[in-house]
Amino acid sequence: MTWQRETFKKIKQIPREEHVLPGTALCAGCGGLEALRLAAKVLGDDVVYVNAAGCFTMLAAYPFTPFKGSWLYTTMGSAPAGAQGVRDALDVLIAKGRLPKEEDLKVVVLGGDGSTYDMALSSTSGAITRKLDFYYFCYDNEAYGNTGAQLSPATPYGARTTTSPCSLQHPSGTTQEKKDIFEIWRAHKPPYIATVAPRYPLDLEEKFARAAKFTGPKLFLALSACPTGWLYDPGETPEVAKLAVETGLWPLKEAINGEVTHTYIPKRKPVEEYLKLQGRFRHLFEPTRQDDAIRHIQARVDEYWQQVKG
Amino acid sequence: MEGEMMTGNLAAAWGARLAGVDYVPAFPITPQTEIVEALAKWCENGAMAARFVTMDSEHSMMTAAGAAAATGARVFTATSSQGLLYAIEVLYSISGWRVPLVLVNVSRALAAPITLEPDHNDVLASRDCGFLQIHAETCQEVLDSILMAYRIAEDERVMLPVIVNLDGFYLSFTREPVIIPDPEQVKLFLPPFRPAHLGFKASAPHALGVAVLGGTPYSYFRHQMHLAAMNALDVHREAAAAFEQLFGRPYDVVEGYRLEDAEDVLVMTNAFASKGKGAVDVARAEGKRVGLLRLRMIRPWPADAICHALQGRRAVAVLDQNLSPGQGGILFQEIAACLYHEALRPRALCSFIGGLGGKNISEGELRAIFEQTAEAGIRGKGIGPVLLYTEAEHREMVQLQVLAAGSRAES
Amino acid sequence: MQAVRFHGRGGQGAKTASRILGTAAFLEGYQAQDSPIYGAERRGAPVAAFTRIAKEPIRERGLIARPDLVVIADASLIDDPAARVLDGIDERTAVFVNSSLTAEQLGAQTSHAGRLTTLDLTDIALQQFGKRGAISALLGAVAGRLVGLRRESIHEAIARELADFGLAAPVIERNQTVALQCYDAVRTVSVVAGAPQPIAPAQLQVPTYEPPTRGTARISAAANSVLRETGGWRTFRPVLVPDKCNGCWLCFAYCPDGVISMNKDDRPVIDYDHCKGCQICVHECPTEALVAEREKEGAVAWKAK
Repeated sequence: MTWQRETFKKIKQIPREEHVLPGTALCAGCGGLEALRLAAKVLGDDVVYVNAAGCFTMLAAYPFTPFKGSWLYTTMGSAPAGAQGVRDALDVLIAKGRLPKEEDLKVVVLGGDGSTYDMALSSTSGAITRKLDFYYFCYDNEAYGNTGAQLSPATPYGARTTTSPCSLQHPSGTTQEKKDIFEIWRAHKPPYIATVAPRYPLDLEEKFARAAKFTGPKLFLALSACPTGWLYDPGETPEVAKLAVETGLWPLKEAINGEVTHTYIPKRKPVEEYLKLQGRFRHLFEPTRQDDAIRHIQARVDEYWQQVKG
Repeated sequence: MEGEMMTGNLAAAWGARLAGVDYVPAFPITPQTEIVEALAKWCENGAMAARFVTMDSEHSMMTAAGAAAATGARVFTATSSQGLLYAIEVLYSISGWRVPLVLVNVSRALAAPITLEPDHNDVLASRDCGFLQIHAETCQEVLDSILMAYRIAEDERVMLPVIVNLDGFYLSFTREPVIIPDPEQVKLFLPPFRPAHLGFKASAPHALGVAVLGGTPYSYFRHQMHLAAMNALDVHREAAAAFEQLFGRPYDVVEGYRLEDAEDVLVMTNAFASKGKGAVDVARAEGKRVGLLRLRMIRPWPADAICHALQGRRAVAVLDQNLSPGQGGILFQEIAACLYHEALRPRALCSFIGGLGGKNISEGELRAIFEQTAEAGIRGKGIGPVLLYTEAEHREMVQLQVLAAGSRAES
Repeated sequence: MQAVRFHGRGGQGAKTASRILGTAAFLEGYQAQDSPIYGAERRGAPVAAFTRIAKEPIRERGLIARPDLVVIADASLIDDPAARVLDGIDERTAVFVNSSLTAEQLGAQTSHAGRLTTLDLTDIALQQFGKRGAISALLGAVAGRLVGLRRESIHEAIARELADFGLAAPVIERNQTVALQCYDAVRTVSVVAGAPQPIAPAQLQVPTYEPPTRGTARISAAANSVLRETGGWRTFRPVLVPDKCNGCWLCFAYCPDGVISMNKDDRPVIDYDHCKGCQICVHECPTEALVAEREKEGAVAWKAK
């Protein structure tokens, strides 16, 4: 069964109105901002963003905010708990008649991969277990980006970060495998989780539209290609994202009540094409080519898609 | 005797219940757990119109508490010791958001070594975070202070969160008679929570707790928190007057006990102040002119009230139930600082450290304090920090060390 | 003491340039101090860095309010009020600008008291390295020349500072060569250390209490980030070639900052006040209807209001 988009079939259905306005301090070519901007076109303005420490912290920097909606900066480790407080308070105030129903807001956590994959995991797990009705938008740039690209639990094998440099002992740089946060979420059985990549805007918009039907925790894991941390030219952000998807490294998928559907089946270009674009993988190709490391990355992707075809 | 027998923990829960809170995010920790157990029951059976949520940690609990209050709900929560310190990052956020919730801390000494009984290093670790602090001596005062805390916190001149502190075990698990105020009277005392700068809603979006770049706005906002906290001295006075009028119980930022002609004064906080008052009575019966000053409000620091109470005394002893390693007693430093400019400052300031980890402070130890303080006053030179630790306790400790060492010879 | 202030955009290398200068001075036996200002700003946003060089111990820290030399890595910064490049400049201040204009041409356009010199480092970098990017070695070398440091110390300082980036030896050598060409090519203006100024005590104005609607870090304005222009971040601007546009909307869909809107004829309209110049639209345009043009000072359409 192939996945069908129902709401967003053509690119000209992307809403024209902007909900995250320009003038922010985020890097030129930020893949995370690209994803958030598209997400906000479906989420609209009746939103309170509950932000965790990360690159997005700088979206709302006194005295400027890019949002027409609301914003609360919390901490790196507890944005989902902040969402809990906001959601519960809105519910209580509406129930008690102190807030009209039409004043209600969607509660959207914004977290980078550092917060999402590690520090806020307890807080997130608690929120999902409590069936909190919220969106979780993770901009995954596979490193602690706001501090200059250090190793995070989302950093993939073979990437070089400032705290996983390549050396004689560790020629591949990062030796860990990227943590599978999608499966960690899925184990909690929330109603909706999805991966998105802004280079596939209709897939992204459709997923936000689909998620709106579900009450409860809704995760969006957004591939956030990062020119600053991944070391490529900012104009190549969509190209990098495209290759992440086309090589199969970043599967586009959703899970509704735990059941996974891949929303796009790539033909699977060799991973090399993706790796070669980025400075963080340059050591795999020069001064000497590290065939073992490249094969390792390819094998992991092949293994994944083998299991998908199952 | 009026009222009914209840623990300090139950009195705290009653405070939250009478304040008509909307939301209670919770996390259990000894010796606080009884508070959230009572609130859970009342939220469940409809005695309270509040939502109760068990969170995954104190860090999450405080975040949810602050976020809910920022959304416009009246919020209560409680913790202790390790829990307070685990949440301390969030305390700074909440005060920075200028969100007026009430947090009860049931004091318990901090690990390591892990222990259960009280001292005040936990609550004083949050001294600088922008929460106001009221420290209670009795179970009645716990309840009353929570009601006053909401009124002060929610005042536009303040808009800061408040910690109401009570000692673990010596108050949390101790029952004594408590008068439960009439809920209708409480409504007169505590107006509905309608903060102008808070509340997320579709028609009036706003961004709260946003990043600031550079020291100019940061200094400004941090200083505003200081001014707000200082305003709480006046607001407390007004709240205390209204409270006394409605409920007949007077409160001040400090409480003087038999100070009128006292030569030497002992400064204490929290539940053991009752023991200090007992020791004053004993000494007075022997003709010694001693008194006690109990600090009730720690933040804002009631410098004028303290100076007024301590000026002209021969000697002052500060009994800190906390220890800042490498410095000494925390409150001693603050008392010393605010007396510096007093022309009539005491001839001697003495620092005593006692009750760490819930260790008892015996009548004999209190007597030793009065004696040493009097001598210091006569000499005109203070002493300390002196750890209250008796010969018997020392012997007991040596025995424990022998057992801990076993047959292994370590020096 | 000589106080040198570097201005650049994140990613251009102003911080590294300040370090190259600091290291070079250190190698020559001077007392030296260098430091960047870390804002929350990102690649493309204005940044500053400072180097102090003296024979005597340096009794200062942090930002330089009255620079003896200002090194501006990007001429567009002059027009960007957020960058504050002209702060504290007077008639004795030497000002270097990376610009294709001569000092006389640029001087005619800008209003500040400093003594100008220019060199087109961006063009040199494009020609010698084949791409835009960090020009830290070039900036460091120019600054070194202007404050009177020797070629050899600049040469060595570049090697030391660029080695930290894990650059290959040939790349570092290339940087050294090109940087020393700039060292030789820049027209010098003398850098005169400022005489100590009498300093009046600051007039302190301690704030009073305000209600928390104003007294906390809170924004009740909606979407006011547009008041902050980021157009100055660009080195290149996307320009529409209308005939080639097929109205596909891809540029609109992919723009991270949302600065491209589609008009009623389905043609992109670019908000140059905010376009950061990432070039995503140029890269993704299927019909090459968007092209990148280098921003040129003087002739640029973008100006701070």
